[in-house]
Amino acid sequence: MNPPGLSYDQAPPFSVPLRFFLTAPWFLFLAAAVLLWEGPGILASRWLPATLALTHLIVLGFMAQVMLGALAQILPVVVGVSIAYPRWIAMLIHVPLTLGTLALASAFLGGGPVGFQIAAGLLGFSFSAALITFHRALWRAPVVTDTVIALRCALGALLVTVALGLLLSGYLGWGGFSLPILQVTNLHAIWGLVGWTALLVAGVAYQVVPMFQITPLYPAWLSRGFAPVVTAMLIVGTVLTLNSWPLAATVAGAVLAVTLIAFAVRTLLLLYQRRRKIGDPTLIYWRISMISLATGAAGWLLTRWMPEGANAPAIELLLGILLIVGFPVVVINGMLYKIVPFLAWFHLQAHLLGRAKPPHIKQLLPETPIRRQGWTLLITLLLLLAAVLYPLFLYPAALALGMTGGWLGVNLWRVAQRYRQALASTLLDR
Amino acid sequence: MNAPEELIVDGRGLTPPEPMERVVAALDMLQPGQRLRFLIHRQPYPLYDLLSRHHYRYEITPLAEGGFEILISPP
Repeated sequence: MNPPGLSYDQAPPFSVPLRFFLTAPWFLFLAAAVLLWEGPGILASRWLPATLALTHLIVLGFMAQVMLGALAQILPVVVGVSIAYPRWIAMLIHVPLTLGTLALASAFLGGGPVGFQIAAGLLGFSFSAALITFHRALWRAPVVTDTVIALRCALGALLVTVALGLLLSGYLGWGGFSLPILQVTNLHAIWGLVGWTALLVAGVAYQVVPMFQITPLYPAWLSRGFAPVVTAMLIVGTVLTLNSWPLAATVAGAVLAVTLIAFAVRTLLLLYQRRRKIGDPTLIYWRISMISLATGAAGWLLTRWMPEGANAPAIELLLGILLIVGFPVVVINGMLYKIVPFLAWFHLQAHLLGRAKPPHIKQLLPETPIRRQGWTLLITLLLLLAAVLYPLFLYPAALALGMTGGWLGVNLWRVAQRYRQALASTLLDR
Repeated sequence: MNAPEELIVDGRGLTPPEPMERVVAALDMLQPGQRLRFLIHRQPYPLYDLLSRHHYRYEITPLAEGGFEILISPP
């Protein structure tokens, strides 16, 4: 049986994923504002409240926003299961996620316990709606492809990440119970970044890398085995950490790191083997992202052999920047440039066929701004890394982050505007 | 002068949605009795949906060298 393809009948309305995609870039802009406001002190440690505010503006405001919006699109068209009331579900996830992210960042920046209580309520509601909807859909998938396996593991990891996050915000918002806060925070971060993020990126990569970059398929051993191995190692590592067997937990961590490096290196190799010699404008995003993932995972692995360096704030921050900005933010940004114009074109095609010619996809979004924004994103990443070592780089890094986030937001907004214009002009012609 | 019996669109090695853009453009030019031969490196699922909606008939043949040939006839 063939896996389902993109079908006009199954695709949700364009507004469903679009509301997430148009909101997300402005959280990068907001993150840049926090960086500028706080100044170089923000990079003294990953545990500072302002640093945690910054991190959550990026991981919830930008990353989770796009990832949940993309799932609302992917599940019907790639997995072949429809979601009932898609507009309502999208609103119930999107609005509290946006407000909850703002509440959580404000709470870290000095809002006190009430801020954490509001954030826990809003984010708890948003993620519950998302988890119930997406899990129900995924477990009814008619064909279990490698992508479905990876998405199931990713959503399982999201459940753990959210549960730990709510536990932490409950601790900060209400208190009244004791918590090994360092361990729980580390587990929350690793389940979020390695489980939810890397597995979702991998599941989507199995489809979009061969499709858009015209490469051979991922080898079956990797696309079939990657998500189960990562999930198993996360579970083993968590159990070992909670039972205070740090050495054994490090071994599980090392297996995780090697698995991530294998995925990144194999993806880079596929990109090298692409059959089309004219590079796609999003190629640079994939390359930067996979190099960041491989370097970040290898860096983490190395620090395990240098115990004195493992917990040095600078090393933690460098790895954090590589594994949050370098790996997922960059690849998500690149994928948005494929998804948004493609969906605009796809929906126009469905509306206009036989009546009018839809605009060419490159008219919806030309290649030049995609390439240029990609370079500003690379410069942002390098400046952020430099700012950890030389604090004065923080100001140009913040300006670059704001510029690249805003530029992405404007580029995507323009696609939506051209889509509406094309639709409106045909309606007027009728 | 008679129109040729077939139009050919080779979408192999092009990134989506360019192959589909070319097929849709060719469908507009298709004369009665003419067929469209479309070569593509992977299954073009969205195209099948579009063809069915507009009552085109199509046959899919896997190619020996990899990829597919889709022979499209007008409704």
